[in-house]
Amino acid sequence: MAEYWGVKVEDIFNTMKDRFRPEGAKDVDAVFGYDIAGEGKWKLTVKNNAMTLEKADQLSGCIATMSADGETFVGVNTGKVDATNAFMSGKFKVEGDMGAFGKTGKLFRKFVLAKKEMTTKEYLADMFATIVPRFKAREAEGLEASFGFDLGGPDGGKWTVFIKDKVCTVTETIEGKPTVTLEFNDARDYVDFILGKIDAQSILAAGKASAKGDINMMASKWPILFEKYKDPMAGAVQEQELLVLKKTISLNEKFSTGPIMGKFLKGLKEKKIFANRCPECGRLQLPPREVCAECRVRAGEFVEVGPKGEVRYMDVVYYAMPDPLTGVARETPYGSIFIRLDGCKGNETLPHFIRKDQIEKIQRGWNEKKGTRVRPVWEEKRIGDIWDIKYFEIDE
Amino acid sequence: MGKRLAVCAVAQIKNHPDYHDWRFQNMLLECFEPIVEETKVTFDMDKGIRTIITCSDDMFDARTISDNGITDVVGAHFRGEEKMAQESINGLGYAMACILSGHDDVILFMGHCKESQGESRRMISNLAYDPFYCRPLGMDYHNVDALQARAYMEKSKVTDEHLAKVVVRSRANGKKNPYGRENKIVSEKDVLNSPMYSDPLREMHIYPVTDWAYGMLLCSEKRAKEFTKKPVWITGYGSCMDRYFLGDRDIASNFSLKNAAKRAYAMAGIKDPRKDVQVFELSDQAAHQLPMWAEGVGIAEEGRGGQWIDDGGMERFNVNLSGGQLNGNPLLLGGAARALECYYQLSGQAGKRQVKGAKRAVAQAATGGAGQHQAVIVMEA
Repeated sequence: MAEYWGVKVEDIFNTMKDRFRPEGAKDVDAVFGYDIAGEGKWKLTVKNNAMTLEKADQLSGCIATMSADGETFVGVNTGKVDATNAFMSGKFKVEGDMGAFGKTGKLFRKFVLAKKEMTTKEYLADMFATIVPRFKAREAEGLEASFGFDLGGPDGGKWTVFIKDKVCTVTETIEGKPTVTLEFNDARDYVDFILGKIDAQSILAAGKASAKGDINMMASKWPILFEKYKDPMAGAVQEQELLVLKKTISLNEKFSTGPIMGKFLKGLKEKKIFANRCPECGRLQLPPREVCAECRVRAGEFVEVGPKGEVRYMDVVYYAMPDPLTGVARETPYGSIFIRLDGCKGNETLPHFIRKDQIEKIQRGWNEKKGTRVRPVWEEKRIGDIWDIKYFEIDE
Repeated sequence: MGKRLAVCAVAQIKNHPDYHDWRFQNMLLECFEPIVEETKVTFDMDKGIRTIITCSDDMFDARTISDNGITDVVGAHFRGEEKMAQESINGLGYAMACILSGHDDVILFMGHCKESQGESRRMISNLAYDPFYCRPLGMDYHNVDALQARAYMEKSKVTDEHLAKVVVRSRANGKKNPYGRENKIVSEKDVLNSPMYSDPLREMHIYPVTDWAYGMLLCSEKRAKEFTKKPVWITGYGSCMDRYFLGDRDIASNFSLKNAAKRAYAMAGIKDPRKDVQVFELSDQAAHQLPMWAEGVGIAEEGRGGQWIDDGGMERFNVNLSGGQLNGNPLLLGGAARALECYYQLSGQAGKRQVKGAKRAVAQAATGGAGQHQAVIVMEA
C-alpha cells in the first residue's frame, strides 16, 4: 500500500474507531461508503452513537459514497490537500445524499500524523549536525584541540570535531590523532548519555565506554565550548487546534418561474426553444425576460428559434463549479459555449455546454467568420428545466 | 435643491401570502408601469429618471447582489442604480440625501420582498445573527421579539388582553385597506386562545408571511409640478442604530427609536407629536411593538403602554389605520408600506380609512431583532 506524506490509506481507516466522536453521531443512522481507487472499499455504519467499519467488495445500500484516489483521500484527511479544491476539480466525489455525507465531518476527530520516535541514527545525525551552531567561539580563545568520537554498533559512526582559531569544524571520520577520543561500544549508549538518560560514570564503570587522550579536555572543556544538545522530541509543543466553525448554510427555496420564464421552460419540455421579442426594437431575448430592458416595455411575443445554431463564444473550464442544485462536482474540463440560434441576430445568444469529446473541434464565430454549427441533444425525460438539453454537439 | 422631498406618485400590489405564479420581477413590473403611466416621467438622461434606488434582501431573494436581477423591470439599465439592503424607510432617507444635496432631482424608488420563496422565514432572520454564538442559540427575529415583549409588557403593564385587542384591530383595519393582506377576522377570545409561539408572543401576535412590492416617484420641490398636481412632502428623517448584542441593550427602552424620532422631529420642526401630527404608521412586526413604538415616537407616556391602549390611544392618534405591519408586509418593506399609507392619507386617497384634514403623518420602521435599528420619517400634505 502506497504512502502519502508518510500515511497510508489504511491508517486513516484503522484510526477511525479511536477518533470516533459519539457526540457527533447523535442524529446519524446511516451507512456510508468509501471507494478509494486502487486501495479498496470500506463501509462505515453509524447507529446508536456507535460505529462499525468493514472492508467491503461492493457498496450497495450506502446513503452516500465518496470516491477518491489514495493520495487525495489521505491528503484531505491530513490537511495536505485542500478539500474544497479537491471537490471542485472532481478528484473527490460524493454520490448519493450529499447532505447526509456532510455529517461524517462531525463523526471523527481530526486525523493527526503520529510523531515517529527518532532513531539512534537520526539522533546522531542531529547531534553532530548541531555541533557547529552550538559552538561558543568566545570560549575557544587560544584553543586548538580536536575531539574524536568512535561510536560502535549497527547505528554507529566516527566523527572528529576540530577547534582552531575560534572556528569549529566537523568531519565524519577520525582524522590524525585527536586530542581526546571518546569510544562507545554501542552508539545507543552515547545517545542516551547525551540525552541525560544515563550518566558517564556508570557507562565507564560498566566498561561500555572509554576515553583516550586528554580526558580533562572532554570532561571540563567540552561542556563550556558547546551549548547543551536539545532533544527535538522533548517538550515538543503540542499542535494547537485552530478553531473554525464549519457550517453548511442551507435554505430551501421555491423559485416561481412566472409567465415568461415559465413559457420558455415549458418549451424545452417540448424540444422547442423560445425567445421573446421586444415590440419596439425587435430585439430577441434568450432566455426570455419580462421586459426589454433597453426600451422598458413588456416583451410578450414569443418566437421559436433554433434549435440549431452557430457558436459565438466559448470557454474551456478547468476549475469547475459544483452543480448548485445537486452539489455534484462537474468533471473538468468542460466546454461552455454561447450559441446564436438560427433566427437570432447579433448578440442574441444562448449559453450551454458542448459535448465533451468535441471541445477541441469548436470554432468560435465572429462577424464574417462562421462559427461551428451545433445542435441540441435532448434528454429523453424532459421536465422543463435547463438540463432538458443535455448539451450541444457539432451538427455534421 | 430645497428643504423637502416630493412624493409624486406611489404604486403597490396587494400584500399576498404567496404570489406563486409570479417571480419577484413580475411583482415589481406591476408597480413600475402605473408610476410611469400616471406621471409621464421619462428616462431621458437630461430630464428624466437617472437614479433608481431599490430595496431588496439577498437572503430572501436567494441571490447575492439581488438588485441585479431586477434592473430591467425597474428601468435601471444604463443609469444609476443603488440598492438599499436595509429597511426600505432608509431608502427614503437616502433618496432625500440624494435630492436635497442636489446630486439628482428625480428618483424612482422601488422595493420587493417575496417572503414565501424560502421555506422558512425564521431561518433567514436567524442568519442575521453571528455564526459563533447567537445563531447556534437559535435566535431569530420572532423569538428575540418575544424576549423584548416580556420585558416591555412587564415594564408598561401591557397584558395578553391588550395584545389581543391590537391583533383584532389590525385585522379589522387591514380589511378596509385595498392593498392589505387578506386575513381571517378574529375576536379577542380567538386571539387569547390561539397557540403560543414564543411566550408571551402567540402566533397571531406576529406578522404573517407576505409577498409585496411597491414603487414611489420622488423628486425635488422645484420639479414636483411636472409630475403631479398634489405632491406629498417628506420633511423630516432620522435614524439610529442600537447595539447588536442583546446583552448590551435595554431591549425595553426604545433607545434607538427615541433618538431617531428626535432627529426627524427636529428636522421637520415638530415640537409635540401629539398635537402636530394627525396620522401615525408604526411597523409592528409583533403586537407588543405597537404600544411600545407609540411610546418611542412620543404619543404614549413612557411605561404606560397598557393604559394608553385602554384609554383609546390607538384611535385618538390614528395609529396604523392601514392594519400596520402586523396585518402583513414583508420584512424590510414595513417602512415603505407605512410611508405609502401616509401618502394616501395626506393626499386624501385613503378611502374608508381617511383621516379628515390630515396635514402631517409619521412613518416608523425598524430592522434587526427587537427593533435594533430605527428610522422615522415625517410627511406633510
